[in-house]
Amino acid sequence: MMCDFFHSLCADPVNAIGGWFVLLPAAVLLLAAAASVVLRNLIHAALCLTLSFIALGVVYLALGAEFVGFVQLLVYVGAVAMVIVFAILLTRPDELERSRSFFAGFGPAGGAAAALATLAVLLGAIFTSPTGDRPMPPAVAVPVADLGKALMGDYVVALIVIGVLLTAALVGAAVLAMEDEP
Amino acid sequence: MTLQIVLGISAILFSLGLAAVLTRSHAIMLLMGIELMLGAANLNFLAFWRFSPDPAALAGILFAIFSIAVAAAEAAVGLAIIILVYRNLRSVEVDDADQLKG
Repeated sequence: MMCDFFHSLCADPVNAIGGWFVLLPAAVLLLAAAASVVLRNLIHAALCLTLSFIALGVVYLALGAEFVGFVQLLVYVGAVAMVIVFAILLTRPDELERSRSFFAGFGPAGGAAAALATLAVLLGAIFTSPTGDRPMPPAVAVPVADLGKALMGDYVVALIVIGVLLTAALVGAAVLAMEDEP
Repeated sequence: MTLQIVLGISAILFSLGLAAVLTRSHAIMLLMGIELMLGAANLNFLAFWRFSPDPAALAGILFAIFSIAVAAAEAAVGLAIIILVYRNLRSVEVDDADQLKG
């Protein structure tokens, strides 16, 4: 009995113990993201953003996309978060943010209202869609070998374009941030 | 656990990123908001893959992987631009970078 439960837990965690496997990391994700949006201290905001990246990776894992989950942890938590913290330290971390924004006349309230309106439109569309209440099908294991074969087969052009893009972006970033010759 | 719940989580995450972009004037906060919105898009890709009738089709996973790679390139270039703007203007407020003259 217990053995069956653990077997189904490992094979298909979402259907084994209900939605909690997704909902708990999703709650952490949304709380950390909200904290990183409202916190005034940039370092605190960056650390909350890192926590939300970790929670997002756990959500990917819970949805059954193991490879994407670990790529998310490696790329976002390992690289992007670190680069953001570096950029904060290279600029002035103690400078107080002035409250001017694109909505200069309305202040931050205008931006928050626009975001809330977008959220209302999105949620309205999602919860009235006829395909939305589809139940979760049983999990299908996706071996990394299949992903590799697909990347080197059907998607090889996209893979090469991504490689060129990453090279150009990193060389460009290094050239941009390089000190000028005195 | 239905598709709507995952899409709703993703919509809330996207709106949080949008709120960060629209209400903050610090350039690094803008980039952080953009990263949140990209994460929401990736969550949508994976949700539609997970709930699709044909989970053996890998397009959702591969699109998410490509999207993560593009987001990494975007973060690198964006932060390099922020450091360059800070070096020239001594400020990271986006409202201060209002001229094309170098």
